[in-house]
Amino acid sequence: MKRTEIVEKLKDILLATDDRKRDAVAACTEASSLTYDLGFSSIGMLYMVIAIEEEFGIRFDGVGAADFRTLGDVVDYLEAKLP
Amino acid sequence: MMKQKSGKQPLFALKYLAYDFIKVTAALPGLIWLRPRWIYAAPEAREYLRGGALVIANHVGFLDPVYLMYAIWYRRHRFVCGKEFFESKARWFFRAFRCIPIDRENFGLDSLRLIADELRAGSVVTMFPEGHISADGGEEIAAFKPGMVLMALQGRAPVVPVYFQPRKHWYSRLRVVIGQKLDIIETYGTHPTMSQIDEIVTLLRGRVEELKAIAEERES
Repeated sequence: MKRTEIVEKLKDILLATDDRKRDAVAACTEASSLTYDLGFSSIGMLYMVIAIEEEFGIRFDGVGAADFRTLGDVVDYLEAKLP
Repeated sequence: MMKQKSGKQPLFALKYLAYDFIKVTAALPGLIWLRPRWIYAAPEAREYLRGGALVIANHVGFLDPVYLMYAIWYRRHRFVCGKEFFESKARWFFRAFRCIPIDRENFGLDSLRLIADELRAGSVVTMFPEGHISADGGEEIAAFKPGMVLMALQGRAPVVPVYFQPRKHWYSRLRVVIGQKLDIIETYGTHPTMSQIDEIVTLLRGRVEELKAIAEERES
């Protein structure tokens, strides 16, 4: 899967997870901070990780939601994990 | 409806030896000392819990797990507690009691998976969503942490609110109010949004507040 496709899919997941962040998600880039720019709490991050696992059919092993600072960090992880 | 295992546990299992031993030996002295009074918020709350369930309650002291064992006495509880207890000198006790350790400062995927697996296997997982013992002796119920909603969602289990009135004296009678279970998935679906999760947290805290009001009404 291409990096841009992963980003778009991630944006859809973020919107489905928290519909209050529509504007922030629309404007976000790979450099956007999940906590500061997108306003995700620790539970929001955890919920996002669960949603990603379900959507991409993968399992986050040995990493926690706190390991991802920016959207790009999540994309990097997924890019390495996905075939 | 949620799909979960029946939760039927064997009458005897080696892994529950310490739990069952303490429960059986302490049951009668505890009953005499606490003289628990069970109050049910609704007729439906009287229904026996079958299968996995997440029991939540207010937290006023170290004896709260004991009170909860009296509240829902017919099931074994897996208590959720801070991982620091597993690093203390009393860790053998928490292990023997089959408590589930979680990192309260950084609640993560591993803890969530552990609890969800237990719920799906049909266990009763019991926790205090305030996250700490009440500083004012239980006068006010603190804000609930939202992690419990993810536990119930991932474990596909209903949430059972319980309130126990803080005992004013060592000889005071224990009053336990048991509420009606809330099936989150049935009401909000399997993937509620974060705003709905916040709503569920407020709803559950409200339910415990209602149970508190029932306890106070009965007392007066």
